[in-house]
Amino acid sequence: MNVKEWIKTLTFYEILLGMKATLSHLLKYRPITMQYPHEKKSLPSNYRGMLALLRYDDGTEKCVGCDLCEAACPSRVIRVVSAEVPGEPTKRYSKEYYMDMTRCLFCGLCVKACPVDALGMTQEFEWAVYDKRQLHLNKEQLLAIGDRAYPVREKRLEFQHPNVAYFNVGFKNIPEKDIQ
Amino acid sequence: MATTQETKPDLVTLTIDGKSARVPKGTLVIEAARQVGVMVPHFCYHPKLTPDANCRMCLVEIEKMPRLQTSCSTPVAEGMVVKSAKSDQVEAARKSVLDFILANHPLDCPVCDQGGRCDLQDFSHEYTATKSQFQELKRVFQKEYFSPLIETQMNRCVQCLRCVRYCDQVMDVKALAPVGRGTLTEIKAFGTHELDCEFCGGCVQICPVGAITSRMSMYEFRPWMLKRADSICGYCGDGCQITYQTKNNSLIEVSSTHGSGRNNGDLCARGYFGYHVSEHPERIQTPLIRQGETFQPAIWEEALEQVGQTLLAIKQQHGPDAIAGLITGRCTNEDLYVFQKFMRGVVGTNQIDSSVRYGHLNGVRALQRVQGTHRWTVSFDDIVEADVLLLVGTNVTETNPITGLKIKEAVKRKGAKLITIEALQPAVGTISNIVNLAHHHFGVRADGFQGAVLALMKSVLETRGMAEDVKASATAYGNDLMAQLSGLAWSRLENRTGYSLSDYGHAASTFCQGKKVVILVGQDVLRASGGYGMTMNLLDLLLLTGKLSNPGCGVAPLAEENNDQGAFEMGAVSDVLPGGFSIDHAESRTAVSKHWGRSIPDSSGGALPQFLERMQSGAIKALLVVGENPLGSLPPVSGIEQALEGLQLLVCQELFMTETARKAHVVLPVCSSAEKEGTFTNTEGHVQAVRKAVEPVGDGRPDWEIFSALSIIMGDSMEYGDVKEIGKEIRNVLPGIRPLGPTPIPSKPDAMVVCGYVGGEYRRDLDSRYRLIDEQPDFSDELLVSLRQSLFHSGKFSLKADGLLKVESEGKLYVHPDEAARRNIGEGDQVDLCNDRGTIRAKVGLRERIPMGMAVFPEHFDQEMRGLLSYAVDPETQVPYYKLAQARIVKV
Amino acid sequence: MIFEQLQNEVTAILARYPVKRSALLPLLNLAQAREGYVSEPAMREIAKLLDLTPPQVFETVTFYTMFNLKPIGTFHLQICKSLMCALVGSDDLVAWIKNQLDIGPGQTTSDNMFTLSVVECLGSCGTGPMMQVNDDYYEQLTEEKLKRIFDDLRRDGTCSLKSGPFMYPESAAK
Repeated sequence: MNVKEWIKTLTFYEILLGMKATLSHLLKYRPITMQYPHEKKSLPSNYRGMLALLRYDDGTEKCVGCDLCEAACPSRVIRVVSAEVPGEPTKRYSKEYYMDMTRCLFCGLCVKACPVDALGMTQEFEWAVYDKRQLHLNKEQLLAIGDRAYPVREKRLEFQHPNVAYFNVGFKNIPEKDIQ
Repeated sequence: MATTQETKPDLVTLTIDGKSARVPKGTLVIEAARQVGVMVPHFCYHPKLTPDANCRMCLVEIEKMPRLQTSCSTPVAEGMVVKSAKSDQVEAARKSVLDFILANHPLDCPVCDQGGRCDLQDFSHEYTATKSQFQELKRVFQKEYFSPLIETQMNRCVQCLRCVRYCDQVMDVKALAPVGRGTLTEIKAFGTHELDCEFCGGCVQICPVGAITSRMSMYEFRPWMLKRADSICGYCGDGCQITYQTKNNSLIEVSSTHGSGRNNGDLCARGYFGYHVSEHPERIQTPLIRQGETFQPAIWEEALEQVGQTLLAIKQQHGPDAIAGLITGRCTNEDLYVFQKFMRGVVGTNQIDSSVRYGHLNGVRALQRVQGTHRWTVSFDDIVEADVLLLVGTNVTETNPITGLKIKEAVKRKGAKLITIEALQPAVGTISNIVNLAHHHFGVRADGFQGAVLALMKSVLETRGMAEDVKASATAYGNDLMAQLSGLAWSRLENRTGYSLSDYGHAASTFCQGKKVVILVGQDVLRASGGYGMTMNLLDLLLLTGKLSNPGCGVAPLAEENNDQGAFEMGAVSDVLPGGFSIDHAESRTAVSKHWGRSIPDSSGGALPQFLERMQSGAIKALLVVGENPLGSLPPVSGIEQALEGLQLLVCQELFMTETARKAHVVLPVCSSAEKEGTFTNTEGHVQAVRKAVEPVGDGRPDWEIFSALSIIMGDSMEYGDVKEIGKEIRNVLPGIRPLGPTPIPSKPDAMVVCGYVGGEYRRDLDSRYRLIDEQPDFSDELLVSLRQSLFHSGKFSLKADGLLKVESEGKLYVHPDEAARRNIGEGDQVDLCNDRGTIRAKVGLRERIPMGMAVFPEHFDQEMRGLLSYAVDPETQVPYYKLAQARIVKV
Repeated sequence: MIFEQLQNEVTAILARYPVKRSALLPLLNLAQAREGYVSEPAMREIAKLLDLTPPQVFETVTFYTMFNLKPIGTFHLQICKSLMCALVGSDDLVAWIKNQLDIGPGQTTSDNMFTLSVVECLGSCGTGPMMQVNDDYYEQLTEEKLKRIFDDLRRDGTCSLKSGPFMYPESAAK
């Protein structure tokens, strides 16, 4: 131990160094704690919050029920029951769509996997509930989240480019599929 | 000439991607590459089809050849050096081919049912750049309704034409056609009409992309979600291997892989679209016990206790012969075995019968009597390799479609000669017709096969004589038969069948030229009066021409139900012990009873027709019915209704509430073949494993468990842990039953039995077999109505299959258009059919293959039609015949 | 039953070929000559005659552009759109016809007189733009010529401007 260190010890240099930030705030007061429920933090635009199902601008749901999100999900959050749209043969949609948000890791893989951008991650995170079962969301709930989180909607896929105009369209005048 | 070349084929050595391959001459490069593990990507090539080389995907570089070659159409040559994956040029070619295909293929994989198991998807992941050179718009086809079961999405089509070639070359249906030209070629049926075909599902299975998909399971699954179970189809006797694909314990899809099973991946409508039957909402869920007029659900213990105690009481009071049992040939071998063991060992009666009695027994008995085996001496492979095929009353494309495919393959690809004695006449229709392929066709009425068979025999023996060794070793037999045949005048035979001496002469010379001759006998023979005699006659024919014991030759009776053959072999017939031995054979009886540790009653019990009599007289008090529906299948003339009335106990083990089950005192729910383990024996005698794909519906249990439980209640415990244990016991009792080889080894005729037969046994019924059945009076006004199996159904069972009902939902009385025109009837008209037994109403359908003077009605919808049927019992085999009726037809 | 009255022709055609299905194209031609187009009943009948299935006949009909699947007008205008004619203005020709008759390719005038089709090279490359009306060629067409042709055709059913067909030597000799 040399003299320099002796001096540092005697003058409490390390403590001062450690207290530097604290002491500087003592001089220059500015509140840092957010008053959370009353104040909201602005989130980054790519924040991965609550998942939502989206719609096209005419209100039709985007999801085609391809089950790719289900396949991509690492924690088996999603369950899709796909079927033919009633009255529109060969058009596919998700008849039922469930997300068990208690298991979700918010990794965003389902959003990446979706071929029609039907899933979105919202900025919502305030999903504390008293009963875990309330976090088992169905299609209507997920669409409702999407509706409030994504006010700007895309136009329908059919109108985006002629090559996708027939991506998932039904045809008319046909007996319906009735085997369930 | 072809036969002499059947020595070892020449082998050719070539190098593929540095690997050396040695393959037979004539093999295609793509096939040789597959053998050494080099996968050449392809769309249009399929081993079952002739090469078309239209997709250009399988291009490979072959040294010393100027350009890239399509490996699917290039045969191998000695010293060839092929480069597939290791050539930049090939890689570039494949990239550009895929670029061309993807120029029009929509990127709708997410909504395509093929997504995840699609060749195009796989290859584009492997080869394509992600950016296309094409900026043009993709082609778009107008989507129209295609068919109730098969869906097309022509935008996805890569125009490999596999479906079209499969439909033509394998199925011989030709229902699909490439319409238009160039990139705008699309697969259509006819104009804007919906598809009307055999619905074999072959096009769905063979499509490399998602252009043709099954509507049955559309959008219900993604391939990676499915669990598979290889099993055996539960409809007809062909015993096709099917793979049940299930998701969350429900059946999603059925498929069959190329190269697997006896069917080699081919299926029929029943197999491919009929699987929904086991998930039908009307399945019986719990045991039901009759309370007055209604049924009360019960628990198993209660129901079994009631059945067991009642059986015990009846047995003690009236003796074991007051109890009888009837089982269906749709059960597994294990079920059948335990059933007959229960009846014989625990109840102590031989009064058991199964659906073999409805016809297949005729064939098996004849085989047993002449050649000493109860199985075919040929296999499906022998049918394919045969030189001459003789079909008698088979209607094979409808009753046994996969056997039909083997015949088609033999005739169309291998050049076999086909002789048919059928009621149908050649006509191209929406479903294939084996008669169209025949080189010699004898179209006789359904009740006149005997005349044609005898005429053909007579012609064969008169023109060619009998084989020398037969003449030498069995002179008396030969002479007796010749005498019988010469007793038949040609004029009578010609008159009876409508074909001339020279017609038979041509067919006879074809028949005699064949080295490998297979005779297939179908239900129209086996289930009609004289069926046993006719099968015997056909065996005589092979015997006299010296072909019976030649390899690749034989008589093959076709089984209707999936395990008819097994039912016979397991001894589920009153006078047959496990292994097909006669109950009168004391030695085998002792052997079996030693295995069981139980005595077997020696009185033969009696067959189904005798049960009916004894039930009517009140001698039988209790009847166990397992999966059978005698009330629904036997005609009222047989007295079945009165017979069931008088029973003290009628137990039905059923999947559905059948007519018989409604009369039952106790109904027990069982498992369908998708829900249990076991084995089925197909018509060629191949024992194949049935595997469980889904859990049983409701409280259903396998049949053997029920017998096992009953035996415990009856105080004579017969316990089994699982199916494997029963299988082990079966193999102990019958060392011959060794299941589960990839291909069956056909049994050989037993020389001792053949000797005994030609030595004098044949005389027993010689006269009756070679006497022409008395001619039916020819009523020009009346039609001969024949109840037949339709391609789209199997028994009453398949009437619960949604998919099949979409194709055929009602029974129509099919007649020839000219016959209809003569009677001023049109398609869809209502007619009354009447004879002295009653009058019923039916809707008319027109089919050109039905001969004049005949009408065909699908037996599955025969509820009312049964009232018109004539009923007779074979004196020799006790087979009840009830498939024909003479009736007047009156337009309503 | 369109072949009922054509029994002789059918027999003659069938006799020409050792394999039955070879007679498909001649029979289709016969059917088209009779009805102006190949109708569905005709296809079914041909299928029956030749032991084919209707889809197989349909396939052939759709492959050949000269078979019509729909009824056509009295005069079938076939405009060559191949390279040579395109260079000298076959597009204009289509436009003129649209102008004069108000029909586009594949359409028929409301009076069932004219049907317009666009076809590949008719082998008259030196004299384009040209069109074939039924069996006759009209070459080096101009808008005025077209008007005259249509007027003549409407009135007389023929037009003196025709310059063909030169497909068969014997008709050229006439």
